[in-house]
Amino acid sequence: MSPLSTPHKPKDRSLLPARTSKTFDSLYRDHVDLMYRFANRLCGETEAAKDLVQETFLNAYRGFKKFRGDAQISTWLYTIASRACLRMRRRRKGEPDRELSLDEFIPTSDGEFRLQIPVEGLSPEEALQNKELRQALDDAINKLPKKYRMVLVLRDMEGLSAKEVGTIMGLNERAVKSRLHRARLFVRRELSARGIT
Amino acid sequence: MAKRSAPQRSARSAPKAHEHGRRRCLRILRALSAFIDDELSDDVCMEVRRHLGDCPNCEDFVASLRQTVSLCRHKPTPTLSSADRARMRETILQTAGGR
Repeated sequence: MSPLSTPHKPKDRSLLPARTSKTFDSLYRDHVDLMYRFANRLCGETEAAKDLVQETFLNAYRGFKKFRGDAQISTWLYTIASRACLRMRRRRKGEPDRELSLDEFIPTSDGEFRLQIPVEGLSPEEALQNKELRQALDDAINKLPKKYRMVLVLRDMEGLSAKEVGTIMGLNERAVKSRLHRARLFVRRELSARGIT
Repeated sequence: MAKRSAPQRSARSAPKAHEHGRRRCLRILRALSAFIDDELSDDVCMEVRRHLGDCPNCEDFVASLRQTVSLCRHKPTPTLSSADRARMRETILQTAGGR
């Protein structure tokens, strides 16, 4: 695990007020696994996910006094993590997000309507025991432009409502649903194109 | 998820060519996520169901989209070890205290 990317002075934990530290401990204990799962789904790799979790809780620690309790703590943390993720990715590669057009997902031949992967008659858990399929799914999600990936992860993988996703990403529900639809179509097409047997 | 009652095709034969205009399929394609999330109004939902009953290609497409969403929902993720959890907490507190 890499240390936080921002340089910092030698540590003196006594500088932290005991009460703040206790509040942080309980926040961290109750939500670190949730945030790690989210970060992992968003970043697609372990070390980047750990960096994102650290950045998230550091920002939460600093901003806790400003948290007014209007939203659930988890929604607040998701918001911090989403913003931190966008900042981290911008630092790494500065390329703008590609827009996904619905037209690019329209099948052009009859064979493209079905998913060319072995899921017929299997539960999703059984299907995902196929390593090649898991890898194809990871690749498809990782290839998604980040603003679409974030919506897919929050809505379909974290199970949040479109309204909650909108709050986290600063979007209205219509925009959330539009991005989600494009993200799903993108993943579907990527999976289908792999033709796993 | 929409409680869809479109008839299942018994033999999974190759999809037939379209017998209607492609434009209808495109309209349906735009609404498919809302359809599988059960977010469409009753009349639009009925229109989608009717189309799926008539169009094997679109029926295959909606099945494949459902499968995609279902795979995303069930994709396993790794968990943090206790050692990682403790190490990360320490780093966060040290960074916060050091600034």
